[in-house]
Amino acid sequence: MASSDTAVSLSNVRKTYRIGEPVHALDGVSLEVSRGSYTAIMGPSGSGKSTLMNLVGCLDTPTEGTVVVGGRDVGALSDRERTQLRGTEVGFVFQTFNLMPRLNAVENVALPQLFQGIDRDERRERARNLLERVGLGDRIDHMPNELSGGQRQRVALARALVNDPAIVLADEPSGNLDTDTEADILDLFDEFHEGGTTMLVVTHERHVAERADRIIHLLDGKIERIEELDGTGESRTGSPAGQEPGGSSE
Amino acid sequence: MNPLESLRLAWRSIRGHRLRSALTTLGIVIGIAAVIAFVTLGASLQAGVIGDISPDDQRNVYGWAAEPDSEGGPLAGAQPVFTQDDLEAVEDLEDVEAAYGYATLQTQAISNGEETVAQGSGMIASGPSYIREERIAEGRQFEMEADEAVLNPAAANQFEENVSLNDTLTVAMLGGQQTDVKVVGITDNSEGLSPFEGFESSPRIYVPTDPYYTEQASMLGIGGGGGAGGGTDGGNQSVTGGEARFLAIIVEAESADQADIDAARESATDYLESDASDASELLGNDLEVQFQTSTELLGQLEDVLNLLQNFIVGIAAISLLVGSIGIANIMLVSVTERTREIGIMKAVGAQNRDILGLFLTESVILGIIGAILGTGLGLVAGYLGAQYIDLPLVYPLEYVALAIAVGMVVGILAGLYPAWRAARTDPIDALRYE
Repeated sequence: MASSDTAVSLSNVRKTYRIGEPVHALDGVSLEVSRGSYTAIMGPSGSGKSTLMNLVGCLDTPTEGTVVVGGRDVGALSDRERTQLRGTEVGFVFQTFNLMPRLNAVENVALPQLFQGIDRDERRERARNLLERVGLGDRIDHMPNELSGGQRQRVALARALVNDPAIVLADEPSGNLDTDTEADILDLFDEFHEGGTTMLVVTHERHVAERADRIIHLLDGKIERIEELDGTGESRTGSPAGQEPGGSSE
Repeated sequence: MNPLESLRLAWRSIRGHRLRSALTTLGIVIGIAAVIAFVTLGASLQAGVIGDISPDDQRNVYGWAAEPDSEGGPLAGAQPVFTQDDLEAVEDLEDVEAAYGYATLQTQAISNGEETVAQGSGMIASGPSYIREERIAEGRQFEMEADEAVLNPAAANQFEENVSLNDTLTVAMLGGQQTDVKVVGITDNSEGLSPFEGFESSPRIYVPTDPYYTEQASMLGIGGGGGAGGGTDGGNQSVTGGEARFLAIIVEAESADQADIDAARESATDYLESDASDASELLGNDLEVQFQTSTELLGQLEDVLNLLQNFIVGIAAISLLVGSIGIANIMLVSVTERTREIGIMKAVGAQNRDILGLFLTESVILGIIGAILGTGLGLVAGYLGAQYIDLPLVYPLEYVALAIAVGMVVGILAGLYPAWRAARTDPIDALRYE
């Protein structure tokens, strides 16, 4: 079982989808994510990245094996408990931002706390502070469609952090951003990481993954290899050859 | 999530789709408005009819002889059995203040000097106190055995030159005879004076039964005649010779007190059904004398009104049903459209019941807004309708509360399935939903 230093741990996790032939989206994956670490997950399409994200994000349960998030076995929880765990221990950052279109920035950030029954004034105060920390202190009343892509992703990051989760899950967080904005967001990730936040980033872009302490390479539902980075950032200068022509939404 | 927060979020999304929400609500507005308007009109109509029973009228009992099971309101199945002697005897009874006959005379035309107006009905023969003192605007009641008449304003004003007191009118009866009447009084309005007449406004001329009814009856050679809906089925009537028999009689009790009314009713019935009366000759085994007050007679009328109203309200309720289907439909569209938002909310920790509550709140808000607007519109429509057909306005206020409750229930019922679908949405699929 996971120690208190472990944010997330997977042991022998198998996830099988039955669409005609059984497909093992994840096939015997074991992984420990310690508190305060910064992990990147890479792999081609169909390698099981999304499935892993869903399991760690308490959106799904494993077919076999155990997933422990914030000290609790996700597979053993009821739907309600799982939702509760997700709300308090996991923060999501999505490629498409996924802000609520009719809520302004501060309301979006405060949304997870709404479902935890936290008082409105307290929520706003906390959300405002976080927005200031991500550099949007002057835009708290803006609606998502009044914000640029980078600003939206900052709001999303603030929202992910609002309940002080065990882990922040980012799924292609810069996939919809241009290069400069991407760097800003990744810098922000580094900043929060240094502040003690546990980060798990799924990406297929090498230079994004290289911000992490280690890169886990997935292939066909299995961990192909784990690449430990020394943290000096020397790999960051790697060529952008692996970069796909990502669209800019700004 | 507390209800206030649900309310706030739901209201936000309703405002986000103004036009759609307005159109959805419109279905409920129309349904509730139709129900409220018709209920208001129905209540006003009943108040209008019942309001016409003056306190003085309440001491009258209206009687006729018919087979016990006859249905269909005043005078249904009535047969002419009461003679003038009977009436005099009844009037002498201890509990009875007055008793007189009632008959409508068949006329052809009425002339005021040169001018002649066709009039087939509306000449009513009765006793002097049939026209109650407080209903007389000018002049006085007619007297028995005099060629006198009291007109209502509609009758007085139907000539180019309005009829005034002491004018003499010439009435052409159905048989062709001409008879003169002297106008001695004019009533205050043209509504009927008793349930026998009905309460609608129309020209009416009131004359004493003697001589007008007795004369007509004997001239036609029948035992009775005229009378609203009164069929004279020839044959056996001839046994009564030329003596006028009344289809309908009115007995006044000592007061409007229920005990007095019952006493008058009982003693009059006892007398008329006893062998001492002329009526008993014709009552046989089939006919029964019955006396009813205006209120009782109106109760029957009310039953008919209620039936009609329920029918119309039923139709209006169907439009409410259509409106609620509209809400359900829009909520389903809304759930599909907001699949991604549902996914986001679930990802950040929204429980199924939070999502359920959110969508239910939304449909209940639509239902309640629809109910409130519909009630307002319905009350205005009811008011205009009551004004238009000149009825006293009565707002059935309990229906307003009911309408709001119905709006809420409609919102819940229409929102239940869509909200349940929303709550059941799988966040993984929902987040992937484009």
